[in-house]
Amino acid sequence: MSGLEQRIHAAVHGQAQPTVTVLSSLLAVEDELGYLPKEAVEFVANFSDTTVNDVWAVASFYPNFRFVPPTEHVVEVCWGASCHVVGAMAAFRSVLEAAGMEAEGDRPDNRVAVKLNTCLGACSQAPVMSMDHHLAGRITPESAAKNVARLLEQDGHGA
Amino acid sequence: MADDITISFDGQEFKTQAGKMVLEAAIQAGVYIPYLCYHPGMESYGACRMCVVSVEGGRGFPASCTLPAADGMKVQTASAEVNDLRKSVMEMLIAEHPSGCLTCHRVDICGPTDVCLRHVSVNDRCVTCPKNERCELKDTVRYLGMNLESPLNYKYRQIPLEVADPFYDRDYNLCIVCGRCVRACEELRGDDAIGFTMRSGQALVGTSFGTSLLESGCEFCGACIDVCPVGALVERDNKWDKPRTVERTICPLCPVGCQLNVEYDNEGKLTRVVPEINSPANHGQACFKGKFGLQFVNDASRLHSPLVRRDGQLTEATWDEALEVVATRFAEYSGEEFAFLTSPNSTNEEHYLAQKFARSAMKSNNIDQTSNVQPDLTRALEQSLGYAGATNPIWDLEKSGCILVFCSNVTEEHNVVGVPIKRAARKNAKLVVIDSREVELTRYAHLWLRPAPGTEQLLLGGLLKSVIDQGLQDDEWLAENCESPATLYYALSALDLEEVSKVTQVTVADIAEAARLYGEAETSALVYALDNIQPRLARDTVLSLVNLVLVTGNLGKPNAGIYPMRSGANEQGAWDVGCVPDRLPGYRRVSDSQDRQEVEVIWGTTIPETPGLGLTQMIDGFRDGQVKAAFIIGDSPNFSNGKLGDGLAALDNLDFLVVCDTFLTDAAQRADVVLPRATFAEKDGTYTNLERRIQRLKPGRELPEGGARSDWRVIRDVAHKMGVPGFQLASPSETMDEIARVAPIYAGISYRTLANQGGLVFKTDLTSPQPTQVLYASREDRGLQWPVLSDGKGTPILYEGGFNDRKAEPITPAFVAAEDRADPDFPLWFVPGRVLLQQERDIEIVKGRRNTIRRDEFVELNPADAASWSITEGARVEVDMLIGRLAGLARINESIPVGVVASTSLFGQLAVDLQGSEEMEAATRVPGLDIRRARINKIG
Repeated sequence: MSGLEQRIHAAVHGQAQPTVTVLSSLLAVEDELGYLPKEAVEFVANFSDTTVNDVWAVASFYPNFRFVPPTEHVVEVCWGASCHVVGAMAAFRSVLEAAGMEAEGDRPDNRVAVKLNTCLGACSQAPVMSMDHHLAGRITPESAAKNVARLLEQDGHGA
Repeated sequence: MADDITISFDGQEFKTQAGKMVLEAAIQAGVYIPYLCYHPGMESYGACRMCVVSVEGGRGFPASCTLPAADGMKVQTASAEVNDLRKSVMEMLIAEHPSGCLTCHRVDICGPTDVCLRHVSVNDRCVTCPKNERCELKDTVRYLGMNLESPLNYKYRQIPLEVADPFYDRDYNLCIVCGRCVRACEELRGDDAIGFTMRSGQALVGTSFGTSLLESGCEFCGACIDVCPVGALVERDNKWDKPRTVERTICPLCPVGCQLNVEYDNEGKLTRVVPEINSPANHGQACFKGKFGLQFVNDASRLHSPLVRRDGQLTEATWDEALEVVATRFAEYSGEEFAFLTSPNSTNEEHYLAQKFARSAMKSNNIDQTSNVQPDLTRALEQSLGYAGATNPIWDLEKSGCILVFCSNVTEEHNVVGVPIKRAARKNAKLVVIDSREVELTRYAHLWLRPAPGTEQLLLGGLLKSVIDQGLQDDEWLAENCESPATLYYALSALDLEEVSKVTQVTVADIAEAARLYGEAETSALVYALDNIQPRLARDTVLSLVNLVLVTGNLGKPNAGIYPMRSGANEQGAWDVGCVPDRLPGYRRVSDSQDRQEVEVIWGTTIPETPGLGLTQMIDGFRDGQVKAAFIIGDSPNFSNGKLGDGLAALDNLDFLVVCDTFLTDAAQRADVVLPRATFAEKDGTYTNLERRIQRLKPGRELPEGGARSDWRVIRDVAHKMGVPGFQLASPSETMDEIARVAPIYAGISYRTLANQGGLVFKTDLTSPQPTQVLYASREDRGLQWPVLSDGKGTPILYEGGFNDRKAEPITPAFVAAEDRADPDFPLWFVPGRVLLQQERDIEIVKGRRNTIRRDEFVELNPADAASWSITEGARVEVDMLIGRLAGLARINESIPVGVVASTSLFGQLAVDLQGSEEMEAATRVPGLDIRRARINKIG
């Protein structure tokens, strides 16, 4: 077994909850790897005695699953109602510019992903953004751009 | 039979049965309720909401496909409210479906050659949809009377077309996500090659990670295409052609006897094949061969005129000239010097005439079919039980408790038989597969016994012994229906399971488990062929299988029984009507003087009393000059695939050879006279399928006089030319009447009784030129299963009332393995396998004019063999099989028996090859999975 296969195996078999389903197994792999490789879909299909196409139907149904390896960093800008009215869009545009991107998604060099989030849950601090799940509140377009630049100076996990 | 209940539609009362859904009751009653996701034969799904109705006293608008019919229910199918609701559902569907075909004001007046200039945008011109005027969505919109004005108010999704796969074109821009295809693949076929992807607005149909169907486990059966209501899934060949005529006939490619609705265009070109949904043998299913392999009838290289050899060259001649030559030359030979080989796709009437011709005109019993390389398949079955045929209907398998499949690649050779097996295995039935090859059914099996090649018969002995050891025999049934099995038990007592396990390389625990699964189930069915069984062991092997059925009492009841898997489409019929060297019509014995006399009286001639030569001996007879003249109908792969040695060279040795064939095949090129042969699509007659069901073929296209003719007419005309009496038959129908007189098991068969089997089922909307939704629902044609006595009633299950004044006879075979005649140069067995899907294997689709598959093959071998050949995991090796080589990466696998190298290829390759083939009748030459002697070498 390759390293990847071992990690998938361990994640699926390591589920502690009493009810193990296709979905829970996919979530376990996603938590472990940050995405679902083809091997994971095949493994879960065998594990749950179903077919790859059925597992794919479940996996592709949920936008929470990724099918390509995660980027080093993830920047999210909150686009909830509170953030929107105090200028989330301007901050988002600034974040995109700082990251050198034109739209939401993964940057081709896989260093960073920029996404909008429906609510980061810190409405009192609006507008809010998060860098690798660390929140920053009351951002401005300028501070948002600085945050992104600072983030990109850091190495990601082991890169 | 469920109780009848009364339900009313729009004030009119109809009878239906409890348990039916309202929509099903409406279809049964001929009342139209529009539907899109429902499809006859599948579970109701309730997704499209098009079949909503209102029920008096009920709340809201339930979907009729999921609403159980109840007694006294009053249903309104088309009230204004219901229609408004349907219209709003439809508006949402066509918001993303190109709908120029619905809005163009010229739709009714546009002719096929009109050029569409400005009425409709390029993307959604009606001619860009392959289902134009065959579309259920369009029919439904018209039924709803929707007023669609602009062709531009829909959103084109710009999804790229999927054209990388063989046979299919998929355009998901036209998909309405009704889910019929996904459900057909899963529920009807048990394959799961496609699934739903994404959700809500992006929801579509596709495969895991968007791979091609070649990689996703597709068997290219076409079931998804057949159920698609719109133009999203279509056959690539003749995709734009609309049918002019549709004729229901029987598939000529295997003995399942699938009823197919074959579509022809104006010029008689066969354009499309849609399996019949109300047919007893295939229940609306077909396979890649039947669905896509019948286009050969259109081939331009077909023979259009008889050919006669003059000065060494085959030259064109008229029918009269050619028949004259045949009649004159045949008159020079008689008795054993003559041999007749018929094609397995000849009809019953043709087989009957052929054997009558050989026996009465040529005084020779040398008659057989070119497919009959395993004549022992049913001989022992008949000897033990009484009849040489499957005991139960094919679809009984779906309800069996346990199915044992022995050395039979069912999913490829008899694909549709695999459908009920897969469906049963996915429900509650236990599936046990005995095969050294990795065939598709091993993927569905609860237990796969993989004996070393040549030890299958010994393994069956072990299985029988284990049944007895575990006390799983049905003593009560045996006492009543069977001669004493004491001799069999005695022979079994001498077997040592440990020893059996050692030789077969199947563990004792697995043998015991297989015996338990088969013996314990309420009803168990046994499906067998003799793939890769040595001819010398064939009879014993069949006896063992029959004994297994007998001792467990799995006979004479529904969902049990034994199914021999014959090879040719109408081999069963050929045997039934005496087209074999030792049997007369109705399995009367050639060697029995009373049997012979009874036939002689009807024929008004004498029949030679010694049984003739079978196929294998006949070919030997050609070689050694014992047989001098032969009449061969249809070429056969068996002449060239080594099963008969070099069969083609043997043909060269004949003094006079007549070949009646569709193409100038290898056999035809060796003939002195070649007669062009009509195909199944141009023939009237009957086939008898492997479940003994006699079904009618109907011609759908005509051939010009002077061109190809059916075997029936050819044989009759040769007999006329030779002045032989007894061939004054005007039609195949009259021939069947004569068969009914000669063969007792066919006594009640006539074309008239066959026509009366099954009536109208779903009523069609005859006002529509092409009623799409109930297209397959006009008439039902159930055929008849022999024995059909003179009362015209068939026998779906044999031996229900016992064994005709006798008892079944358990004959004791020798429980031995094949002698291992070790060949020092080729010490191993190469065991091929072929499956639909192999996970953990990446394949590459090589794009080109025709896309193909490329991937590294694995050669699997046992650790012991790997050690003795010093091969390590992952080493590049080459398997040398004398007739061919296979290179791949070594994989060491303990489940491979010692002495065996195995390699499993992907079924998709076969589909690619079939489509890309230059062969004229490619489907019949799909390579089987033959085990061969081999050696293994390291390379690089």
